[in-house]
Amino acid sequence: MTKIWHIIKYEYTHHVFRKRFLFSLLSLPLVVVAMILVALLIGAFSVDTSPVGYIDHAGIIQEPISAEDGGGFFNPVIPFQAYQEEEQAIKDLEDKVIQAYFVIPEAYPRSIEIELIYFEEPSYEVQNQFTDLVRQNLLASEDFDPDVKQRLEEGNLITMTSLDGSHEMREDQWYTIFTPFIAGITFMIVVMTSGGYLLQAVVEEKENRTMEIMITSVTPNQLMTGKIIGNIAVGLTQLVIWLIFGWIGLKIGGQFWPILQDFSMPTNYFFLLLVVMLPSFVMVSAIMAAIGSTMTDVREAQQVSGLFSLPMMIPYYISSTIMMNPNGALAVILSYFPLTSPITILMRLAFTIVPAWELAINIMILIAFAIFAIWFAGRAFRLGMLRYGKKLSIKEIFGKRIEK
Amino acid sequence: MAIINVSHISKRFGETQAVNDLSFEVKPGEIFGLLGPNGAGKTTTIRMILDIFEPDSGEISVLGGSMNEEKKNHIGYLPEERGLYQDIPLERCLTFLATLKGMDEKKASAELREYMKQFDLYEYRDKKVKELSKGMQQKAQLITTLVHDPEIVIIDEPFTSLDPVNTEMVKDILEMKRDEGKAIIMSTHQMNQVEELCDRILLIDHGQRVLYGTLREIQNNFSSRDIMVTPLSTLPDSIGGVREIRKLNGRYRLVLEESFEPNKILKNLINLGVELIEFEIAVPPLNEIFIKVVKEQEGDKND
Repeated sequence: MTKIWHIIKYEYTHHVFRKRFLFSLLSLPLVVVAMILVALLIGAFSVDTSPVGYIDHAGIIQEPISAEDGGGFFNPVIPFQAYQEEEQAIKDLEDKVIQAYFVIPEAYPRSIEIELIYFEEPSYEVQNQFTDLVRQNLLASEDFDPDVKQRLEEGNLITMTSLDGSHEMREDQWYTIFTPFIAGITFMIVVMTSGGYLLQAVVEEKENRTMEIMITSVTPNQLMTGKIIGNIAVGLTQLVIWLIFGWIGLKIGGQFWPILQDFSMPTNYFFLLLVVMLPSFVMVSAIMAAIGSTMTDVREAQQVSGLFSLPMMIPYYISSTIMMNPNGALAVILSYFPLTSPITILMRLAFTIVPAWELAINIMILIAFAIFAIWFAGRAFRLGMLRYGKKLSIKEIFGKRIEK
Repeated sequence: MAIINVSHISKRFGETQAVNDLSFEVKPGEIFGLLGPNGAGKTTTIRMILDIFEPDSGEISVLGGSMNEEKKNHIGYLPEERGLYQDIPLERCLTFLATLKGMDEKKASAELREYMKQFDLYEYRDKKVKELSKGMQQKAQLITTLVHDPEIVIIDEPFTSLDPVNTEMVKDILEMKRDEGKAIIMSTHQMNQVEELCDRILLIDHGQRVLYGTLREIQNNFSSRDIMVTPLSTLPDSIGGVREIRKLNGRYRLVLEESFEPNKILKNLINLGVELIEFEIAVPPLNEIFIKVVKEQEGDKND
């Protein structure tokens, strides 16, 4: 047992205290933060905040109030300027004093039509803010109960619930379905990263020619157990640090965007996540160990491992198709194929109800394949461990006799 | 009582019969030379002793029974394929490997420091292994083989990449270990080292035992009953009982007539008034025996 512990400790410290680990650790949060910032900046810069004029023939806008908050860099407020005469508005439009102007016709209360005149179509935000302004003024003119007024201002809130009650989606919380989706993807990234570390750990043993020393000190089982646990621990460290980053991000982001405070993960989804994750972890680890045992150097091994990690990420690349039609033929087929099933299942579970029997079969196939992968890795390891500089063929691994 | 007992082991890889019905034993307190030409089956034999391979047939007993996990802690192995973790500091690498031999970290660390000082590696302990020279890595590997004070030491070509000073030091250590009662199996092609160090040898070829016994016995068996002499001046042209005199680099090789004893030659030389610096019964160098035996084997195979 102590020997396994020494191997775990070695593997863990070997990877965690390397610069490479720090890079991969920081790269994901940095990319996410950068992407969010870019999106916000694009949003902010795409809104033209030069004034917009309006001519109110219906006499609706009594109080030219704008949005209550003063706005900010990310929530720009567009000033609206009243005109009496259309000629003046046209002139200002030509002189680029205003970017566009609205005309509320006299018949507006009956027709509910507003005209927008422009040279260059203004951003959607302009119409949005003007509609708010009109709505607020219309409501102000009527003698409504403040509660009713508030309800009218907020509009409808539709909540969709699946028949079995397992899935619920509120119109204003569309992002909640993405929480399990993102969690699934993150977990898979951790599985793949741990697998990558394991692959490296096994090939390095061959590159350094330390395999003979190792197996005359410990059993192959102790060696592999230590390596797998050590590298899973590395993956989990990465996950925990990412979760902490995410949590901090939500806390900070929540200060600016209140919707971020509602992020949550359904318990049953979390349970299913674990059921899918465990065999996936075993399967990926075993595949990586097998590749590590058969290949002779790290670069080559990484190329070959790509053949396995690529299909695993296919569902992620076609995620929009699976999201749109989570019970479609493609999604169902991908759930049966062990390499693609982990991510497909997690995605489908996030967006729809997968029949229990189907889910059970998918997970059973996954477990069976994971067991097969362990068997395969064991053979590959025993055959390949002392081969330096010579690759092992698949035929040899499946060969009848095993030389020990 | 043998510490390693190999009995009629055979091992076949596909078409190749790597080891064929091989038997020998190794006793505590001896340096045992495992010799043979390239591809003779030495490494396969060592790997079978270490339980890396299983023999197809035959039995191996190590430390009084079959190999198990606990016994691995009592074996030090310097494989032919040298290997250390290249990307980590020397001391960390050595400590890790020592803990895998069942040493606790504190003890390993103390012992390793002693060894590193002895091998002039102490000041390099924080350097990455890959930054060390080949000779230094070789010394580090030897430390890994010896640090846990194993009962059995199996070393494959221990002197490659070592300078003469370090070679002497390693020889001293091996002799010290032998005197402590450890069993040492040494596989090497450097016959002069075998002559200097080994108590007994096993020569294998094509996986079979060709020679087995004490070094002296084997050399005596191959002795040609020649005598090496170094006189103070010159030798007379004829000496009683000597068929032929060959001059070699200041020494003479005397080829004796049949049934003539070396003692009588010494007597004759003294009677002839020859002053001698050296008088020695010519023992064939192991190198010659090795080449002769292996060539004979090749001849047999070709017949």
